[in-house]
Amino acid sequence: MTPERDGWLHAAFAVSSLACAALVAVAVARDAKRPAQLEQRLVPALGVVDRCELCHAEPKHGPLAASHPPERFGCTPCHGGQGYATTKEAAHMAAMDWERPLFSRAEQQAACGSCHLGQRAPVPLAAQGRALLADKGCAGCHGIPGVPRPDFAPALDGLRDRVSPAVVRLWLQAPDRVDDHHRMPRFRLTAQESEALVAHLWTLPGPPLDPRPATLQGDAERGKRAVAERRCATCHRFEGRGGLVGPDLGLAGVKLDAAWLWNLLRGVHRLRPESRMPDFALSDQEAADVVAYAAENWLPDSGEPPWLGLDAPVQPALAAAGKVLFDELGCAGCHQVAGTLAPPAAMTLDRLGDRWAAELPRLATGTALPDVPHWIAGKILTPHAFDQRDAAAARMPTAPTVTDDEALAMGVALASLHRKPVPVEYQRQHDPPSAPLPAGHTGRLIARYRCLVCHGVGGQGGFVARIDLDGVGSRLRQPWLAAFLASPVTVRMDQAERMPILGLAPADAQTLAQWLGTALGDDRIDAAPLPSADTATLLQGKQCFDRHGCGTCHVAQGGGTMRGPTLDGCGVRLQPGYVFALLRNPAVVPHGRHPPEPVPERDVRALAAWLLHLPATPTATGGP
Amino acid sequence: MKAWLRTVWESVWRIGWPKDDRSAVKALLQSLVLHVHPPKVRPESLKFRATWGLGVLSFGLLALLTLTGIYLMFYYIPHPDAAWRSMKDLAFVVPFGVVTRNAHRWAAHAMVALVTLHMLRVFLAGGYKPPRQANWVAGVWLWFGTLALSFTGYLLPWDQLAFWAVTVGSNMAGAIPGIGEHFRVLILGDRTVGEAALLRFYVLHCVALPAVLFALVGFHLFRVRKDGGLVVSEHAESAVKAGDGPRLVPAWPHLLYRELVLSLVLTAVLLALALWVDAPLEPEADPARTPNPAKAPWYFLGVQELAHYSAFWGGVFVPAATVAALCLLPYVDTHTQGVGRYLPPERRLASASFGALLVFMAVFTVIGTLFRGPGWALMWWPK
Repeated sequence: MTPERDGWLHAAFAVSSLACAALVAVAVARDAKRPAQLEQRLVPALGVVDRCELCHAEPKHGPLAASHPPERFGCTPCHGGQGYATTKEAAHMAAMDWERPLFSRAEQQAACGSCHLGQRAPVPLAAQGRALLADKGCAGCHGIPGVPRPDFAPALDGLRDRVSPAVVRLWLQAPDRVDDHHRMPRFRLTAQESEALVAHLWTLPGPPLDPRPATLQGDAERGKRAVAERRCATCHRFEGRGGLVGPDLGLAGVKLDAAWLWNLLRGVHRLRPESRMPDFALSDQEAADVVAYAAENWLPDSGEPPWLGLDAPVQPALAAAGKVLFDELGCAGCHQVAGTLAPPAAMTLDRLGDRWAAELPRLATGTALPDVPHWIAGKILTPHAFDQRDAAAARMPTAPTVTDDEALAMGVALASLHRKPVPVEYQRQHDPPSAPLPAGHTGRLIARYRCLVCHGVGGQGGFVARIDLDGVGSRLRQPWLAAFLASPVTVRMDQAERMPILGLAPADAQTLAQWLGTALGDDRIDAAPLPSADTATLLQGKQCFDRHGCGTCHVAQGGGTMRGPTLDGCGVRLQPGYVFALLRNPAVVPHGRHPPEPVPERDVRALAAWLLHLPATPTATGGP
Repeated sequence: MKAWLRTVWESVWRIGWPKDDRSAVKALLQSLVLHVHPPKVRPESLKFRATWGLGVLSFGLLALLTLTGIYLMFYYIPHPDAAWRSMKDLAFVVPFGVVTRNAHRWAAHAMVALVTLHMLRVFLAGGYKPPRQANWVAGVWLWFGTLALSFTGYLLPWDQLAFWAVTVGSNMAGAIPGIGEHFRVLILGDRTVGEAALLRFYVLHCVALPAVLFALVGFHLFRVRKDGGLVVSEHAESAVKAGDGPRLVPAWPHLLYRELVLSLVLTAVLLALALWVDAPLEPEADPARTPNPAKAPWYFLGVQELAHYSAFWGGVFVPAATVAALCLLPYVDTHTQGVGRYLPPERRLASASFGALLVFMAVFTVIGTLFRGPGWALMWWPK
């Protein structure tokens, strides 16, 4: 029996049989390239299946290998790439099903930042970026995990009592002409939009102002002294110098309404509950003196305020449109209105690390940015240069004075955020946990004097003073603290920021000193009694002081250099235990700018005894 | 030894290699597998244009899908945490993993297309006319089963493509008035595509639907033979009955050889495809990241396009009415003039209306596939 003799049928049979055989051979040949033996690292907690060691038999482990063993971390969480892959191309390159090729340097930093959390993380870019995100107020519009909502923008209630509409008009159009250190980002507002916003702002009522007695006359000379003595320049700039925490007062004489300023100085928190300024509670007379000084001295150099000519009546008819714009721009995300911040108006940035560059909008020029951190940096620097059509994207403002490096740092910080955070056992929080602050009277004092604006406590606050209050109770003696709070003296001569004269009542100073002394201790410092001061010990101590070169930085007994704090009378200020600890282990110095060399143990006691018994004023004999 | 082996062989295969027509007929009738074939067939049924080989090719694809599918089941884990990783294992470490998955994927697409064409061919030849009505309805359900198998299999790779295609597909089911939402929850086991849906689709794809399909295929083939084989023209039918037409020829070897050649060609084409065209795989399914546009599998894109105009009329009514009409067709259109020929003058209306339906669906499928961009907006330049 033979099949019928159809030529085409036989041909098809022959060709297809041969083809099947050949194709099977091709499949077998291809399959032979598959690695015969699999080298893989499995880290189930991170979802890691890494076969990198198929080729990288002996990976070049850098300095981080010891703390990041591949058994615990795998390869791809830090380096990117496709761990499943068994070929170089699939492992290193992006493909349709794998958008994450090997990480760029910025992406690597973002990967570090996924585990290393906090602004003190040892990941320079991510840590710097997090601090910048907080500093630039990004969290005013965007919800960003780990970044606090901004608390530095002024509340807008009663703005109409504070300044003239001309100031607000100029501020909205060219803020740098009002304050060259301003922090508000630039919105691209038309003149019409600015006008509508002004109209809306002029509808927001503020606390009523107390009438100033007509008999009250301010004295500019006394005002000048008050400004100097109260150390206003620690936070405010005027005459081109001063701190940046408070607003620039260079134009305050023409910018601020005199009646409002007088009210403010008498009780800042009544008019500005959100203000960072401590409650100096100036007397009516002292407030009038400062107002008089301001009116005569804090004036534009040219004699004409920059908002000259912008004066025009506010148009109440635009207020409704202004309210719409106000909400759309998310102004109330940074500026409190009626005591609250509005929820963030723009998208939450909690998963930018899950995105990849190719899926993000391109620049309008068509250029693609290389990775997500650089994309975010581009978005921060030039928010409108992207091919995005939605209205929300068009509203993003430009932050003032962000450098390329800063923008990249913020990009890295944001690219370290994922929808699914790394498992907790891989997370490392580098910021100290925020310590609970006392409630009740002590808590109200801390709030009233805004201690945490300048000083950090448990990772909160600390925008001015270099020294956090953590551990201060183990370092400084309570009586000295109470005296210092009531009337601050200068300990470190090289420091520009001086503690303002807050005018604390002695009882309040005592309360705060008790809090500092008992609640804020340092585990590294043991309490110790004052060492006895026999003549032999003191003599040995003096010799140690000279031998160890302490005078290179410290003044004592009329000799030495005034780099560090003066040591005469330091026994009144310092806890003996701190001095012992400091001499043994200088790392306990809180600011650690110029830590001294450790002192040998045999010299510690004598040196400490000599230092702690130094009299406040040098004696002629050069020793106590 | 040789004699002993011969005894073993003959205990299984009682009749030796057929030597003449008579023993060939006997061989067919004695075999469990082969006796679905009639012992003798009409010569015109053997011509390629009589069937275009579509039924055999569909069956061949089913066989290949079963084989490759079983192999894939060895490695596949139907859980959201592991499913997509199974694809990666197939791609990188499983012996012949890539080629098996590719073959399974392309065979599945091909089967949807060929079963549809098979139905078209049978319709054009009037193959649903008495006495073949029930087998036509079985065929409609086979077509439906093929779509269901393809759709359930679409989810299993658990990539973005799978996840969102099935999300779109199941949302269309949710547009059924009254029971839609319940039906959607029934097939997904949840309100959204997730762990439950993956398990359900897996069991349907690997157990339930194949069981139904195999049973229906058995019925379908059995009835092909019992209903008198391929439908032929009245002219050929009467010629055979009068004894002056071409003589019937034995199915062995004439039919079997053609089936063998078709199977070989099919295998070769599929292997070539599997070796040089990779099945798509997108990033792992992420419910938080919706692609724009999210598209159903291509064979549902006509329906998705219609559903875009009206969720009920386009997404529910038209497909349901089409299936209902196909099932009712053999009981409405019963005259037997012009059967066994393509496009006979007697069946102009039937051919034209079926053709129109097909063109209608093809046009909308093409629009949905190629000309719909983000937001389902028309896009004149296919991407």
